[in-house]
Amino acid sequence: MSGELSGRRALVLFLCIAFSVAGCAQEERVLRWGADPSGGAPYVFTDPAHPDRYIGYEKEMVEALAARMGRRAVMVATDWEGIVPALERGEFDIIVNGLEPTADRAARILFSKPYYVFQLQLTVRRDERVINSLEDCRNRLVGTLGNTAASRLLAQKGIRFRSYAEPGTAYRDLELGRVDAVLMDVPMEIYYARGNPRLRPAGPPFYRGVYVIGLRKGDEALKAEVDAAIEAIMRDGTLERILRKWDLWDDAQAELQAAVKRGEEPRYEMTAATFNWTDALARLARAALITVLLAFGAMFIALSLGLSLAVGQSKGPSWLQAVCTVYIEFFRGTPVLVQLLFLYFGLPQIGIALPGWLTALVGLGLNYAAYESQVYRAAFEAVPRGQWEAAYSLGMGPALAFRRIILPQAFRIALPPVTNDFVSLFKDTSVAYAISVWELATAYRELANATGEFLLLGAIVSAFYLAMSLPLAHIARRLERRQQRRQALQALVVEAAT
Amino acid sequence: MRVEGLRKKAGGRQILRGISFEVPSGATLGIIGASGSGKTTLLRCLNGLERIDDGFIECGEVRLEAGLSEEEYRRRAKLLRRRVGLVFQHLHLFPHLTVMENIVEAPIHVLGMKREEAERAARELLEEVELQGLADRYPESLSGGEQQRVAIVRALIMRPNVLLFDEPTSALDPRRSASVRALLRRFVAQGHTMIIVSHAIRFLEDLADQLLYMESGEVIEYDRATELLQDPKDSRTRDFLRQAI
Repeated sequence: MSGELSGRRALVLFLCIAFSVAGCAQEERVLRWGADPSGGAPYVFTDPAHPDRYIGYEKEMVEALAARMGRRAVMVATDWEGIVPALERGEFDIIVNGLEPTADRAARILFSKPYYVFQLQLTVRRDERVINSLEDCRNRLVGTLGNTAASRLLAQKGIRFRSYAEPGTAYRDLELGRVDAVLMDVPMEIYYARGNPRLRPAGPPFYRGVYVIGLRKGDEALKAEVDAAIEAIMRDGTLERILRKWDLWDDAQAELQAAVKRGEEPRYEMTAATFNWTDALARLARAALITVLLAFGAMFIALSLGLSLAVGQSKGPSWLQAVCTVYIEFFRGTPVLVQLLFLYFGLPQIGIALPGWLTALVGLGLNYAAYESQVYRAAFEAVPRGQWEAAYSLGMGPALAFRRIILPQAFRIALPPVTNDFVSLFKDTSVAYAISVWELATAYRELANATGEFLLLGAIVSAFYLAMSLPLAHIARRLERRQQRRQALQALVVEAAT
Repeated sequence: MRVEGLRKKAGGRQILRGISFEVPSGATLGIIGASGSGKTTLLRCLNGLERIDDGFIECGEVRLEAGLSEEEYRRRAKLLRRRVGLVFQHLHLFPHLTVMENIVEAPIHVLGMKREEAERAARELLEEVELQGLADRYPESLSGGEQQRVAIVRALIMRPNVLLFDEPTSALDPRRSASVRALLRRFVAQGHTMIIVSHAIRFLEDLADQLLYMESGEVIEYDRATELLQDPKDSRTRDFLRQAI
């Protein structure tokens, strides 16, 4: 009797728990917000003290907004340059990442009320003598983040600039002399450059723009909710407290919030990407030229170093053989991307700061040398032993025999596989994107992100790659066929001789 | 050229078991024997391509002997090759060079001859072997007989004291073989010293002054050519000659 009762009780208890859990899940609404946390200080970034969580003024702001909206904020880490397409794909509901309203973005997404007024700050090296304002930057190279108000302003003024994916990298390259100045939103400048004794601001902050929250087209209801929440955290002083805590409060914020509190719709100017096809094609052509330069330069290094490696590995003293083997296995066994990042960011720590394009050229060359050495080695082994003996028999020493008799023949054997490798090296130049070299892949990402023309620009960039790699592949095939014919003929001669 | 007690082991097998002979300047020695008797290995030793285990090879003042240090052996082998030229059985012409380049490569880069001088010498020799029109062709476009004559000229231009031939007729039909023999007879008449390895006795018949019959790395019979052909002393030589003719 009592056992039956307790069984029924247990069932009731279980159902209660089950329903309440389901109820909670239905009750709790989430606000998924997208942001790029890599190098994202002070917006949202990895907490240096607790690398497993993110901090930042925008994170605190989103949490305050979400609380107002009765939701739980869930951050979705994404990539800044692809943030609008990611929103459109539905990976998150809103963008909160220092997003500026632009005409091209307005065509694709909705904007909330502005929540922050930003200015731009130009930064130079402490010993800089010439640059004191943006006007002084003509004919110099300025670093900035890709697809931002700063980059659009530079493009508009016709100042040469290099786009970075992270502010930290841009300021480091400024220190190393890889760029002459950096133009960045003030919040980033405060966090990444202000405390650096080797850098100094050039002139006062200028330009005014705003940050807004981005939403998908059609999400008007959510936009109304977000706008109401922004107004609320301004009215009750929550946003001011957060901004003061991050040292971001200034007169511009006070003006913006005063207008909102008075019930005025804050007005702001919308920048537009200055984009025209002639300009884009010219930039793509330049990128293609750099791609070709990288490929040829890297191949030159790969072929000459690869030869030394092959000779060292098969003919050198045992210690040299070991060194060559370690080199080859290291470069074949680690990703070329990691090698490039190491060269670009690691070498400056021991005082060697190469510009990006040279780093990419040398890095790819060092990497491909490991592969080419193995092509050479196979080719040396494919030259018949009788060729060595014939050379020795005529009184040649090993060095002379190698140089005059073996090497030219090995080179012919190696030519088709080397040409094939060249085609892949050609495509591998796209990893130079990681160190901000303006080659074709970088050009594609930046232009496409700035315009949304992923399909059309993708087709054009592919056409550029194909225009360069197809002829090479064709040459490789012809060389291979000729080689096969030659080998068949030689086999015939040897057969006839025996 | 004098060879004394030459022994050579390779791959755990005794290939040469004490070979001795002496070829006076201007004479021609024919070495005969079945396949696998060690003829080719012997020639390779005479050109310093193989290291000998015992005995010595003497040519002029160069003496290559067993028991030298690796370095010294290599040095002397190189000196020996200046005096001893070898025409390989499979010729080993350099396929990436033209006929002319094949021939002048060593004179220019080993002897330090001037290019014009080397080419002039090469042209004379090519004319002698009736290949004057083929100087700019690549070896792969030549017939077997033409390739062989190129290989001979390539060895000859180094002015060796002794010229070694490994199976010079193996790649040739009877007519071509006769023309090579005619060429070698001319060399005999010019006073070249030669050692010719062949299994074709007919070919050597009135070419060689001396004949040496080898079996399993041993000298079975070594005599003046006429003696050995007409009156072989050893029964094994007789057997070989009977089968070969």
